[in-house]
Amino acid sequence: MNETIIGIDLGTTNSEVAVVENGKVRIITDGDKKILPSFVGIDDNGDILVGDAARNQYLVYPERTVKSIKRLMGQDSRIDLGGQSYAPQEISAIILKRLKTIAENHLGHPVSKAVITVPAYFSDAQRQATREAGEIAGLEVVRMINEPTAAALAYGANQTEAKHMLVYDLGGGTFDVSVVNIQDGVVEVLSSHGDNHLGGDDFDQQIIDYLLDHLQTTHQIDARNHSKAMARINRAAERAKFQLSDQPYAQIEEEYLLEHEGAAIHLSVELSRMDYENMIEDYINATLDALHIALKGAKLTASDIDEIILVGGSTRTPCIRERLLDEFGFEPHGEVDPDLCVALGAAMQAAMIGGQQVDTVLVDVTPYTYGTSAIGTLNGEFYPFMFVPVIHKNSVLPIRKTEAFVTSYDQQDVVEVSIYQGEDPDALNNIKIDEFRIEGLQDVEAGNVITLTLDLDLNGILHVSAQEKATGLEKSITIKNALSRFENTALDTAKQRITSLFGHLESDPAIEAEPESFEAPEIEAARALITKAESFFDQASAEDKEDMVNLIETLTTGIQSKDIAGLEEPTEQLSDILYYLQS
Amino acid sequence: MKTPYEILDVAAHADDSEIKRAYLQKVKDYPPDREPRQFQAIRQAYEAIKDRKSRMSHDLFTLPAIDFDTLLDQALADAQLKPLNDKQFNALLRASLEDKTFVNGSAPVDPS
Repeated sequence: MNETIIGIDLGTTNSEVAVVENGKVRIITDGDKKILPSFVGIDDNGDILVGDAARNQYLVYPERTVKSIKRLMGQDSRIDLGGQSYAPQEISAIILKRLKTIAENHLGHPVSKAVITVPAYFSDAQRQATREAGEIAGLEVVRMINEPTAAALAYGANQTEAKHMLVYDLGGGTFDVSVVNIQDGVVEVLSSHGDNHLGGDDFDQQIIDYLLDHLQTTHQIDARNHSKAMARINRAAERAKFQLSDQPYAQIEEEYLLEHEGAAIHLSVELSRMDYENMIEDYINATLDALHIALKGAKLTASDIDEIILVGGSTRTPCIRERLLDEFGFEPHGEVDPDLCVALGAAMQAAMIGGQQVDTVLVDVTPYTYGTSAIGTLNGEFYPFMFVPVIHKNSVLPIRKTEAFVTSYDQQDVVEVSIYQGEDPDALNNIKIDEFRIEGLQDVEAGNVITLTLDLDLNGILHVSAQEKATGLEKSITIKNALSRFENTALDTAKQRITSLFGHLESDPAIEAEPESFEAPEIEAARALITKAESFFDQASAEDKEDMVNLIETLTTGIQSKDIAGLEEPTEQLSDILYYLQS
Repeated sequence: MKTPYEILDVAAHADDSEIKRAYLQKVKDYPPDREPRQFQAIRQAYEAIKDRKSRMSHDLFTLPAIDFDTLLDQALADAQLKPLNDKQFNALLRASLEDKTFVNGSAPVDPS
């Protein structure tokens, strides 16, 4: 039996889960709800709330409710919730765990694997954090796919004609734009661009600032320090934004918003669509600039685009449609549900990975350039941090590239390698994502050749290795954002912590009925890995083979004693060996 | 080692759209999610011959892949006796474009 892999759209504002069943893709509903608001809270009894319940209590208990956690993913921040401090991964894991339960209730059996979507413009650190959130929630993230790509897949599945499509994806917190070619059952992303901190939340913030200004000028009061008033202002701003999608004016009324010197303060103000559109104009301009960069990356012009699809709730803003009409001369497509198509695409890709027969194949690109720095020239002058791109923006994934470098002085016994993400010829203007050293180089003149290999996988995660060519001395790493990255043990602790939060809420009879038939995913993964490793014996060197045999032995012992925590390290080491044998 | 034309199963005189179709068919047979290694080879083959410009440069430079050092040694040995022939020159040029050691002048190029 093939294990079911679910597809998840983990959004800034809303999340959804979908699955392919009997060849048909569908959103899994919770009761009659297709959408789970991405809110997490703690109630009076200390129990965890997720979704609508958490969103509803946000007005009353903003201090124990968290929204828009996606904006903090990949950052080294902590969130206070009910007297405890959590990493962004843990809060996201709570949402994922709820989605997992919704899927399990529907399917009637446990689920341990998922495809999760991320914004195309999510960085390596943000992707790693998303994968960790999955692990904490008890979900192996078998693939992360880009949100606009997932939407294109959901839409492109029933297209028969060849066409160029533009996906404009404006969510609660992120913006992506992708140019896609659909032809002969292949959905091929030609280019992607975006901004991972631009979305509907920023539009809300403009209205919030407007309301705060209004309170300041009419009542001489600063509401910023009143958390309950701020929660109401937040909610009122969001409502006004929704209203302005189909009305020219929105009336904002919040009575008894707060008390000031014994008097009740009421908020009453009108906002016109025109004023609102002026507030957000800079953001819309930024999305159109990104759109032109994406078109250029695909070597196309606006007239080459046959269709536009809109993804994300924020694309309901009328002026976005108008601006796109001006730009392309036709209306964006209306058939695709902008809230659901990403989850549907994720489920379709999950089915493909799970081995189901699918008609549409996906080819995606990286929106980032990755490279290193070397001694060179910048603007014609000597410069020690010249950026040397290795993997270029819009390269098709997966991709592996090697570049050769040389040591710069005699008897140089160490090289420091820095890895950057960005486009600037000055490496220091790009984002440094990791650095490492190779020590103990041979004692020779300058010119000792060091090769650097960058390997970007289908999840958009970078693996780096460097080697002294003459001796084979090697150092390899997977980029792990040192700031946000959990240590392995911390991940286990987080998993237990989040699981215990759910406590009794998790006891679903359908799942508890057959405890024996369900093996921990770690054990299952270890078994699969052993089988795979054995098939690689023929092509492994004697040294690798010895390592492999030892690791298989450790794993087998661990499986027998059900020592799940102990499996992690040998599993990782063995996967690494297989990874290099494969490539 | 297979040529890009062989990998994609197309004739040497195939045009852009034939090559694109053949590429897409291969992608369906070897999706990146299931067959990443084959897919990478297919993609590389497609990049090498997808349009007239890339086909020209591919067809002009279809020299067998030779280890840079061997090539250099051979060229330098020959250089003692006579100037480089066109083939050697092209091979060196190509190798130098790919290898920064040569461009930077840090490799032991000077035969004297």
